[in-house]
Amino acid sequence: MRRRLFIAGTAAVTAAAVLGLGGAFRSSGAAAEPDALPAAVAAELQRGFAAGDTAAEVAGLQGELRLRPHDVKALSTLGLAYLQRVRETGDSSYYPKADGILHRALRLAPHDLVATAGLGQLALARHEFRDALALGVRARRISPTTAGVYGVIGDAEIELGRYRAAFAAFDRMAALKPSVASYARISYARELIGRTRAAQRAMELAASAAVGEREAYAWTRVQLGLLELTSGHPRAALRQVQVALDSFPGYAFALDALAQAHWALGHRAAAITAERAAVARVPLPQYVGFLGDLTRDPKQYRLVDVIERLLAANGVRNDLDIALFDVDHGRRLAHALVLARRGYAERPSVVGDDVLGWALARNGRCREALHYSRRALRLGTRDAVKVFHRGYVAACLGRRAEARDLYRRALALNPHFSVLWAPVARKGAAS
Amino acid sequence: MRRTAVRTLAAGLAVAATAAGIAATAVVRGGAPQTAAASSHREAPLISQDPTADNTDLYAFVSPDKPDTATIVSNWIPGEDPAAGPNYYTFSPTARYDIYIDKNGDGNPDITYQFRFQNQPSQFFLGNTQQTYTATKIVGKQSTVVGKGLLTPPDNIGPRSTPNYGALAAQGIHQLDDGTTVFAGQRDDAFFGDVGAIFDLVAIRNGTGANGGGRDFLAGYGVHAIALQIPKSMLDNGTNHTVGVWAATDRQKVSVGGKSHGPWVQVSRLGNPLINEVVIPTDMKDYWNSQPPSKDKQFEKYYENPILATVLQKLYPQFGPFKDTGRSDLVAVLGTGLQKPALNFTGPTFADELRLNLSIPPTPFDKLNRLGVLGGDLAGYPNGRRLEDDVVDISERAVGGTLIGHDLPLGDGVDANDVPNLHAFPYEPAPFSGFDNTKGVPFPTHP
Repeated sequence: MRRRLFIAGTAAVTAAAVLGLGGAFRSSGAAAEPDALPAAVAAELQRGFAAGDTAAEVAGLQGELRLRPHDVKALSTLGLAYLQRVRETGDSSYYPKADGILHRALRLAPHDLVATAGLGQLALARHEFRDALALGVRARRISPTTAGVYGVIGDAEIELGRYRAAFAAFDRMAALKPSVASYARISYARELIGRTRAAQRAMELAASAAVGEREAYAWTRVQLGLLELTSGHPRAALRQVQVALDSFPGYAFALDALAQAHWALGHRAAAITAERAAVARVPLPQYVGFLGDLTRDPKQYRLVDVIERLLAANGVRNDLDIALFDVDHGRRLAHALVLARRGYAERPSVVGDDVLGWALARNGRCREALHYSRRALRLGTRDAVKVFHRGYVAACLGRRAEARDLYRRALALNPHFSVLWAPVARKGAAS
Repeated sequence: MRRTAVRTLAAGLAVAATAAGIAATAVVRGGAPQTAAASSHREAPLISQDPTADNTDLYAFVSPDKPDTATIVSNWIPGEDPAAGPNYYTFSPTARYDIYIDKNGDGNPDITYQFRFQNQPSQFFLGNTQQTYTATKIVGKQSTVVGKGLLTPPDNIGPRSTPNYGALAAQGIHQLDDGTTVFAGQRDDAFFGDVGAIFDLVAIRNGTGANGGGRDFLAGYGVHAIALQIPKSMLDNGTNHTVGVWAATDRQKVSVGGKSHGPWVQVSRLGNPLINEVVIPTDMKDYWNSQPPSKDKQFEKYYENPILATVLQKLYPQFGPFKDTGRSDLVAVLGTGLQKPALNFTGPTFADELRLNLSIPPTPFDKLNRLGVLGGDLAGYPNGRRLEDDVVDISERAVGGTLIGHDLPLGDGVDANDVPNLHAFPYEPAPFSGFDNTKGVPFPTHP
């Protein structure tokens, strides 16, 4: 699927704000001051913000802290609540707030587990994987028996491309405490190594462990839907996503997956409706980008740029995400390669390999691309996007038979892996 | 794990929650966020608490209406909102639910009841919350299925979906092959307490807390319960007549490279009330939950030097001094049973179990004292635990030093459950229905 890379790093845009921004863009063009824009936009968007589930908690905790500014538990909890707010709203300006408040907690209590692990979470969300690993290791020193610390460590190791260490951390986590959190990670690791069915089984366990928690349950169903999509089963995906939406109507993650499933089934109008609804709730750049692909509306692509700039302004290292988007859309290719190299240094994982290889290939540097594109598949991941990229590199090297085989393999895995590139694969496979 | 009531409400996931709620999430559940923002698109919910594997309360008492039996009630799934449909609550079909009984005080189970639940087809879509279950009894190394294909009642959804709920629920009472009576299904949460205030730094709303004025945070919320009524003859060891009881939940381990899942890993346990919340430090909570009572010696220091006493001293110096070290009185009450006065001592092994002396006759319903042994009623907590025992007040007073000459009428100002308990098995009252949701604010009618 298109979203191999984009993280749920997010931006401060609501439905109303999205429309407002589109207008602003038309009048001012894309030449706005890169630094001035995010702040101004953020201020604008704050006003249109819809209250999410933890809004009341955040306000309550802020009130608590006015009375007891040195309450470490309230501080670290507020830090986590800010992270949850990003999830609910897409407003990445909560990241710096979480950063400030968790550091305040840590200054008061240097060995506080929640604050330390919370900063690890924050670092992961901002793609600062080396920092996240260091924080995870610190949290492990504080409490080697707490399962969650192995989640922080393993997540960081995954993105740093250290799979043996990552999988060991996940196994340890699941041995200490089987839960939604550990089952979901085992599922992801299994998916990475190409065990898609086993990944589904682990995610089914996660779903079963999430009964009674609306978002957690809906989230696991969405993941099961995405696993169906990546294995080319949009109808089964639709069923999973529908269960998610039944239990959590309007859940943005589910609406996005719904859009993907509809598109894969050829229901373009329904896909656009669903993705618009997802964007209206949580405007993640990958949602907006997909909407742009579906509608062929360049305004959406410009919005992606704005959101990415907001994310960067709030401390998210999104070089790789931007590189992928630009390479996919054939924009600023030389610059995208610079970003991809920078992103790769921060994230030398199969994701980094794939994006860098793709960026190199699209810049015509196909021999160098081959190295990375091969590495991207070194785990045996059954991912149509990566296989397609590998085929593109082969074609670029003039290995036409190999390219055709790879294109066919990509389409066999998932014929709808990308709005923009699946047609290219089809053409190449037929040649 | 009482934390739970509050925090699932909070968890920032599903339901709107209070500040106290989410604070309690961190305070009590403590640990690192359970589900991380996994990098990449797999970013899982930040705080997920696995409510179906969360032991909330455990009760054990000689049945007042059938004194030749003892009743054990074990609750799971904190803070079930009756009006959360279509997200109804059920036992998890992939968890194993355990009730353990120690007859000789060594911290190891002598009798174990294990329960596995199965969903019925079309679960959730039509609000079908009825489950079937299997009960297995383990004595020594002998494991026997004592009940199969048993049915839970459905959740109490409302007069249209689940009419005559009392009668429906009564159909959920079954006999196991060993002569034990069993019930599994949704109930009103019999726990009462001003949880919001307790986790707000033990805030006491009114005086020292003995004069009412608290808010029952659990009023109107449900739980899932497994209740057992067991002939005393199966439990009584003939010497000190005291059994230790605890409950736990297991989930199956998986690994990245593994093929099947298993073995079972204990993810939650509960003996005495409030231990995980008040006694065990944040960094140790996962570990404590994974350990059996026979290994509780390693946690004894937390019982002996309770953080809560330190907190009380800091917050309420005017009521002090609160002794926060060398509390052998608490070690005895919670870890071995009381020897002097002779109540429920089970020997020198320190193990967090609910200890019930079966030879102490039950107090009639109209005479029981919510303060249990502290109120001169030997049939109540910490001799086992009845639904009516006010464990928040009892625990605050015990930690405050009642047993070591520092008698202070501490409390949370909530003295009883919001609805009356039943006077017959399964004792815990019927849950509120989603239809008569007590927490909703009525919207004015208009033509």
